[in-house]
Amino acid sequence: MPGWKAWAADRFGLKPIADNVLHRRVARGPWYYGDGATLTLLLGVLVLTGALMTLTYSPHPDAAYESVRHITYTQTLGWFVRALHYWSAGLMVVVLFWHLFRQLLVAGYKPPREGTWLVGVLMFFLVLVMSLTGYVLRWDQRAIYALRVATVIFDRIPWIGDELVLLVQGGPHVGALTAARLYAVHVVIVPLLLLGLAAFHVYLVILHGVTSRLERERPVRTAEEQRALYKQQERSERHGEWFYPETMVRSGRFALVVLLLVLGLAVFAGPRELMSEADFVTESRPAEEWWWSWYSGLVGLLPPAIAPTFEWLFPILLFLLLVLLPFIDRSPRRGIRRRPVAVAIVLICAVSLVALTDLRRRSPWNAWPRQTPPEVPAGYSLPPRAEEGRTLFARYGCSTCHAVAGDGPSFGPDLARLPVPYSRDAMRDFILRPSPGAAMPAYAERITDEHLERILDYIHLAQTFPRR
Amino acid sequence: MDRRVWFKRLIKGATAAVTAALGVPAVIAALSPVLQRRRGPDWRPLGPLDRFQIGSMTRAEVGAGPDDWTRPLVARAVYVWRPGPDDVVVYSRACTDLGCPLAWDDGSGWFLCPCHGGMFAADGQRVAGPPARSMDRYAVRVSEGVLEIDLNSLPPVA
Repeated sequence: MPGWKAWAADRFGLKPIADNVLHRRVARGPWYYGDGATLTLLLGVLVLTGALMTLTYSPHPDAAYESVRHITYTQTLGWFVRALHYWSAGLMVVVLFWHLFRQLLVAGYKPPREGTWLVGVLMFFLVLVMSLTGYVLRWDQRAIYALRVATVIFDRIPWIGDELVLLVQGGPHVGALTAARLYAVHVVIVPLLLLGLAAFHVYLVILHGVTSRLERERPVRTAEEQRALYKQQERSERHGEWFYPETMVRSGRFALVVLLLVLGLAVFAGPRELMSEADFVTESRPAEEWWWSWYSGLVGLLPPAIAPTFEWLFPILLFLLLVLLPFIDRSPRRGIRRRPVAVAIVLICAVSLVALTDLRRRSPWNAWPRQTPPEVPAGYSLPPRAEEGRTLFARYGCSTCHAVAGDGPSFGPDLARLPVPYSRDAMRDFILRPSPGAAMPAYAERITDEHLERILDYIHLAQTFPRR
Repeated sequence: MDRRVWFKRLIKGATAAVTAALGVPAVIAALSPVLQRRRGPDWRPLGPLDRFQIGSMTRAEVGAGPDDWTRPLVARAVYVWRPGPDDVVVYSRACTDLGCPLAWDDGSGWFLCPCHGGMFAADGQRVAGPPARSMDRYAVRVSEGVLEIDLNSLPPVA
């Protein structure tokens, strides 16, 4: 070691750190144990890009939206910084779920790692807080309604609902006080907590090691048994390795692949597009960020009797369940062998997350005002009466819910492809007086006989259109 | 008593005292927005009553709030419905499910929610989707021919 390096290592006390962090024997883990390193790297990217944006961002309703536009469209490379922040945030949520599921599968919460687990659970929920407050700072329509939905859910908590809303908004109205506190939460308070907890988490991982191979192969009852088993593997040539460089190369590979994905998405997809500026005036069709879609889908799927309670109770129950898990699951087995319940739960959760995200993306329950009538397929033309019916089809809002021959929304059935054939008379009756329970307005007394007949002419002819 | 035992107690006691001296005011200051009591009515004009035709649903806007540094987002769109000459209803645009912004579909004569498919008829009754309540209505009054609503007649999230 050159003289100055030895000097620095001594005077800055680096040698004990290097010996305890880098130059130590550890139990070898598979490639997918690199998720922790990936989360650390993403945290670094988020802190860096977030700090860069605070140099420009202005947390006041007068300027917030314009400052985000400035970062995106005017500032040199501002779009890239914002895109990196956005995609790192999204992928952090994805990798965090992976990390959680992986720990459930290997039973990373069992002795002596209960403390590591509990710190991790806390961080999991703090990241979820970040993943909501972050995009509210954008101050566009998506932001204001994400905030609104969150406060409506808080409002439903018994006893303290109203007070929670005031606490989040900083007052009875959304405004500068709201933006200031969300900024403080997203940029100062939670990041400080997260950085501290992340350091603590890593310290505990270094202290207790990762769930090793032999732990997953044989029952381990106590912390002492685990420690003896771990020590044996550390020393062995077959089950152990040097953290630096062997473990770091393997974990770093996972982290780099994810970072490349983030870079690719940032360059080719860019930052999240902005909706119009936040207000309660503009007509808009906001939706949550994609990493929250599963929860939105789940809430949309639940029966109305349960959903309002579920929305706020579920996160609390999930938190309690995760906190108590090390004390509930006392079995000596770790890993996926002979732990069918853990495997089943993780599988169900993972599949549900994907399925619910897809459900929310399709949102089959949604209809939205649509004033354009369905198109007539190429090569077909309608006689004047049916053509008039096609125009009226849009005027009476039929096109808001129904497609005709494949063109249009899928809220109601495609009227040219009805599952059960309707006679002209039956359809007329249904339009005037839909059967009870059908989510369709009654047109009796709202439509003239003439107009109704034209619409029926159109639908009748459309049934001869080819499939798209 | 042993000096060291006494010192240990002193350290613990001093820590608790300092924590309380700083922590209690900090918690009170942080929670202070909660202490705000609901204020009295806040009447805002929507325009001359004659502007709102009988039997139709009309979009109207409440103007911006006080021009102070807190910039409350008071400005909002509402829907005015006049079922009869003596009757006027002003709906909040917030879906009673999760607060998403309802859109009036003139063709079908229903309100549609962009989030989970809540739908309401012109009379404010839920007709489809998850909402449990009818649409929220502001308190209204007509003052010298001008339709006014009380913004504080609905909770902050409505």
